Amino acid sequence: MEILQVIILGLCLGFVYALMVSGLTLIFGVMRIVNLAHPILIISGAFVSYWLFILFGLDPILSVPAAALTVALLGVLLYKLIFEKNAAQQTYSEMTVLLTFGTAMVIDGLLAFLFHNTQRTASPAYATDAIFIGDIFIPLAQLYSGMVSLGIIVVLALFLKYSEFGIAIRATSQNRTSAELVGVNVKFVCLISFAIGCALAGSAGSLVSFVFSFFPSRHWEWIAILMSLVVLGGMGSLTGAVIGALVLSVVSSLVGAFYSPAWSTMVFFLALFLILIIRPRGLFGIRTD
Amino acid sequence: MISLICLPIVQFFGNYNYVIHMVLFSFLYITMSSSWNIIGGYGGFISIGHNVFFGIGAYFSGFIYARYGISPFYTAVFAGMIATVFGFAIGLITLRVKGPSFIISSIALLMIFRTLFDRWELVGGAHGITLPHNTLSVEWSKIPHYYALLILMVLSIYLSWYVRHSKFGLALRSISHDEIKSEVTGINIKIIKVTAYALSAYLIGAAGAIWGDYLTYVRPNIFFIILIAANMVLMCILGGKGTVTGPIIGTIVMIFINEFILANFGASELNIFFTGLLMILTLLYFPDGIIGSLKKRKLLPGFLDWG
Repeated sequence: MEILQVIILGLCLGFVYALMVSGLTLIFGVMRIVNLAHPILIISGAFVSYWLFILFGLDPILSVPAAALTVALLGVLLYKLIFEKNAAQQTYSEMTVLLTFGTAMVIDGLLAFLFHNTQRTASPAYATDAIFIGDIFIPLAQLYSGMVSLGIIVVLALFLKYSEFGIAIRATSQNRTSAELVGVNVKFVCLISFAIGCALAGSAGSLVSFVFSFFPSRHWEWIAILMSLVVLGGMGSLTGAVIGALVLSVVSSLVGAFYSPAWSTMVFFLALFLILIIRPRGLFGIRTD
Repeated sequence: MISLICLPIVQFFGNYNYVIHMVLFSFLYITMSSSWNIIGGYGGFISIGHNVFFGIGAYFSGFIYARYGISPFYTAVFAGMIATVFGFAIGLITLRVKGPSFIISSIALLMIFRTLFDRWELVGGAHGITLPHNTLSVEWSKIPHYYALLILMVLSIYLSWYVRHSKFGLALRSISHDEIKSEVTGINIKIIKVTAYALSAYLIGAAGAIWGDYLTYVRPNIFFIILIAANMVLMCILGGKGTVTGPIIGTIVMIFINEFILANFGASELNIFFTGLLMILTLLYFPDGIIGSLKKRKLLPGFLDWG
């Protein structure tokens, strides 16, 4: 019974992780940018929700759109200032990764300067509650955040699958030149995908704000965690990202429950390291070379 | 050079510990960025986890000092060797991938080591190892570190220069341009890459040992943080990666900027902010760095042109 309990908790967190990486994998798919600044954008979103909760008592789940919008605007700004030049060519270089690394440092430094590196968690009333199904208890915070994440991911998947713009995004990520030939405005698609990716980071941030405790410098750890999820699933694939997130989240919960909580994050780091060495494309990845 | 050897004389005229500290801090980072340049600049493998070797060196010597009382000044040589062995083993695994995958794997490596040392009770877990102070008076306590790091810096610059002008370095630079073509011309790319990686680990490890003794404590949250690696990378790129003098100039400029920020704004968070900003600006507008840009425009003075 205990194992089922652990798996369910792992799945709930897994959906949150999936939302956290969905933006990362979308941006990589379209622009071939490994956005190391993604985790700090999530934390920016978490701060938006956190302050809305502290100042106005607004529920973090309700502030998802606000956080998403704020971070999306921030993303557009970053895109215009930094990435536009590099988005023009499909081949990425190490320099672009370092650019996102520098961006992450800039935002990290700014947030740490403004809010200091103290641990924070938004604590809405349900954060400490749980429901019981038989012997299994599910904390409401995890349950709600997992369900909201699942909802957002489903909407995103439908959008990519059926809407005209979603099709343009998928076309660009499959083959940029062909997409341009059939009349897709690739530059605009890049901008909008970057904004959507950032909006996803922001919405993930709102959910993170009451599931995890967060502080600006924590994003270094999250870079490795999120990378492990996308790398397992395969960069650029949404399905892969969701599966990778669920698998690793459950494995890490199992390690945490049956071995030692101290080693549960090690699962992500080791997985990342090993997958990159053994199969850099991941399970569902697109070819990058 | 001679003025650097003689600089500690100022201590006879009063307490200039700040000057000594800044100069030896520059030595440390020139050692590290020049070493990083071997694999990152000549080889083109950008590692943002290179301070793993810094930490390994510091922990090795620190542990022996705390346990057996043998000073890090003697064990630094072996700390470097341990770092090299690790570098060789890690290089064999990670250098099979390149580009962004390599960068991400280097971050993963750093996180793995950070987590390991945070949990490893033998070396003090997250509290790390505390080392005894040396018995010299305040004015002279920094001098042994000063000379040790000066020697390491000279070695690192020599190593960088030697690699740049050797056949080995030529092979390395050809790998950074095109691995497949290099292999076709008969270069054993695997050996070259891994050797370069291990070489760049040696002096970083030795510097770690000295730096651990200087700080008198060795902790995961000081040695295994990504900021150290970020500094190495930025100093190297700012000066011009793939040049011998680039990392030296980059380090000096960077340390001046850091000190200026610390003196004017105080908070170390802003330091991270400006480091990141500088990295973005350099990458966007001077991807060749100071030395590289000057060289391109043929404005580089001869005494800085070492290849």
